[in-house]
Amino acid sequence: MEVDIAGTESFGLLLKQGAEARVFESNFVGRKSIVKERFSKKYRHPLLDSKLTIKRLNAEARCMTKARRLGVPTPVLYAVDPLLHTLTFEYVDGPSVKEILLDFGLNGINGEQLDDVATQIGSAVGKLHDGGLIHGDLTTSNMIVRSETNQLVLIDFGLSFTSTLPEDKAVDLYLLERALLSMHSSCGNVMDKILASYRKSSKQWSSTLNKLAQVRLRGRKRTMIG
Amino acid sequence: MKEFQLNGSSTISLALFTDVTNSRELLDSVQTGKLEPEVALLNASLIPDVFPVLVAANKALVSKSRGSFTTRTLHSELIYNYSGSKHITESLKRCGIADDTTYVLAARFAASHDEMKDVAKLIKGKEIDLAELEGRANQVLIQKHYKIPPQELQISSLPDAIICRIAARDTL
Repeated sequence: MEVDIAGTESFGLLLKQGAEARVFESNFVGRKSIVKERFSKKYRHPLLDSKLTIKRLNAEARCMTKARRLGVPTPVLYAVDPLLHTLTFEYVDGPSVKEILLDFGLNGINGEQLDDVATQIGSAVGKLHDGGLIHGDLTTSNMIVRSETNQLVLIDFGLSFTSTLPEDKAVDLYLLERALLSMHSSCGNVMDKILASYRKSSKQWSSTLNKLAQVRLRGRKRTMIG
Repeated sequence: MKEFQLNGSSTISLALFTDVTNSRELLDSVQTGKLEPEVALLNASLIPDVFPVLVAANKALVSKSRGSFTTRTLHSELIYNYSGSKHITESLKRCGIADDTTYVLAARFAASHDEMKDVAKLIKGKEIDLAELEGRANQVLIQKHYKIPPQELQISSLPDAIICRIAARDTL
């Protein structure tokens, strides 16, 4: 009985390349899938490199599945390969929120759809934060609206971590606010809609939003005096 | 009986049986390693869909190609992987068959048609279509075993929740 796997080296069609990872479109046991490969950094010591890569790989897988347990839609994780440093997950078909908002800027705003997206963002981030999970990279390109169901799916948990501090939650929201301001100012004040929905979904909204006001004054980095 | 293509050139054949009467003997021969042909016997009430089984099977094949089994054989590795837990004994008890199991999914890697006929002869029960998995799964038991909270099921199907646990087990 021979059941060896051959050809695991080729992941499929390259979709995106970032500083930390490459993203491929592939096929997993008959389903369309995404493979995210964290490649090695040649400038690091090999031992340190592999330890860091595996640590981050595992952290990302953990955070994605934790988000689902909290009731926040993320792609279904199909496989984790600690040897090839890859994560394989479900291919989510649909436009990113970035594409949707940019389209609003060009072709006029669909108020109903905008409200729906903003509400879903606020409620998703609220659930994450109440569960003690910080996304770490909340930008509109890391949110996909699933075509079949209009469900908002959060992707890229590569910078996620667990924390219950209002500080970390506020910075998470602040990054989203900055991203919205710089890319999508023509869509009106989306952030207000998001925060209104965040308030409804998060029980600890009060301390987070107070902190957000402070963070807005000083920026993302904390001043370290004393 | 149905054959499924896994990653690479491998296949796995699955067959579903209900009203199985000889699970005690089956369990005995599994435990003594005398089951011929070798086959994985899973407690089908924990299986709402075939895809999670394929995910677990794929994972077992990867371990095989790297010589990194946690259990002794490819087929026991499949059961262990399907459980989504790191506790081997408990996994085999819950996701494998017990003395009184009557509803069984048989799985064999790279099985020929004749071998699957032999498997069907081993198991004294009625073979039914794999499409029945969804309707016959024990949702309460699945939620308890995989610790699936209600809010997760609002955004996820039951099979998807199981798949995530199978895939993420070794990262915990």
